[in-house]
Amino acid sequence: MTNPIRVVHYLNQFFGGIGAEEQAYAPVQLKDGAVGPGRALQAALGDEGTVVGTIVSGDNYFTEETESAKAAAGELLDRLKPDVVIAGPAFDAGRYGLACAEVCRLAQDRGVTAVTGMFADNAGVLTYRSEILAVSTGIDASEMAPSLQKMARLAIKVLNGEELGPASVEGYVPRGARRPVAHGQLGYERALDMLTARIAGKPYESEMLISNYDIVPPAAPISDADDSLIALVSSGGLVPRGNPDRLVGARSEHFYRYPLDGVDSLSVEDWESVHGGFGTLILNTKDPNYAMPLRTVRSLETRGAIKSVYPTFFSTTGNGTAVSSARRMGGEIAAELSENHVDGVLLVAT
Amino acid sequence: MMTAMPAIPLSVGANRIVRGVRVPHVCGDPALSEDRDRELSERIVRTALGALATRVTEPTLFEPSQSAPQAVTA
Repeated sequence: MTNPIRVVHYLNQFFGGIGAEEQAYAPVQLKDGAVGPGRALQAALGDEGTVVGTIVSGDNYFTEETESAKAAAGELLDRLKPDVVIAGPAFDAGRYGLACAEVCRLAQDRGVTAVTGMFADNAGVLTYRSEILAVSTGIDASEMAPSLQKMARLAIKVLNGEELGPASVEGYVPRGARRPVAHGQLGYERALDMLTARIAGKPYESEMLISNYDIVPPAAPISDADDSLIALVSSGGLVPRGNPDRLVGARSEHFYRYPLDGVDSLSVEDWESVHGGFGTLILNTKDPNYAMPLRTVRSLETRGAIKSVYPTFFSTTGNGTAVSSARRMGGEIAAELSENHVDGVLLVAT
Repeated sequence: MMTAMPAIPLSVGANRIVRGVRVPHVCGDPALSEDRDRELSERIVRTALGALATRVTEPTLFEPSQSAPQAVTA
């Protein structure tokens, strides 16, 4: 019987048993053998592999002190000489997912097979999609054992040099690679089969997948507009003249914050729109307030229709934005607004 | 959500939507005199604030108009 493969597991401070959010700055450390969910990993590996050690680090430590964390983790990998690295699964945790992705990259740089697991919209995927092999998970840690099973299976497959099939078949997050394959049927035949199935109300599988949109329950209405703190957000591509942050005209993955303290209106001298999806002449030569009505909102503020304007304006370009980027940006903005007790948002789109 | 193309957010699921004027100038109309343009801008923003203060249960379109903001459901 061949020797069991050497597996190193990466876990964050919580799953690694060090602590919760208060240990998020825990430095990279090594624990012997399998820890916490690592036991499920060991069970999934059976006789084929042994979890020889578990690298544990705090989520904040890894994502804020990345260079030090990578150096420390890299040293541990050099010492342990694993055949396979399993990172996470991180599910929906963004910092954890990012750390897992970094650990996988460290392993891969050393010629070590690495597999992680996370939700398809995790920051780890959004940042390193094409560089990591991540089993697609839900957002619930109750899926821990089955996720680790899949991660172990996939890792062994890759280690054995087996070619991976498409993401949907093998259960990993698509890496953005497209490979030409020969289908049994020609395209038009497959299209007609899909069409007849659809008309007959029979199930069919689309070859191109369109993102689904979430249903979000409406927030409760603002009870007292006069007393409200209102924030302003625009996807009209508004930036200070000169575009210091280099906001792009399409496919933006970033939003920028601009201070509104003491600003009563957006002037043509000080602002421009870099939106590449519509004619910005009017905004850029006549009045940027058409894409973010600051002048009007300030006027209403002065007259008591609202209590005040949140002092930061959030700006991005809404042009061919990836749904996952939009979801992430929206989530980040919403988190800040919620922390700062903003009552309502005016979001000007196009 | 203030937009000149309310059909999109209605189908995607934004819950409170206010109709703006046109894509290149959502919150006003440069073809109007400055006074009327400011009035229009205020009507649009007031409609938006009114929408924030209105209970909705599904994506709802609010139309700025001379009278109180009107709600139209998807």
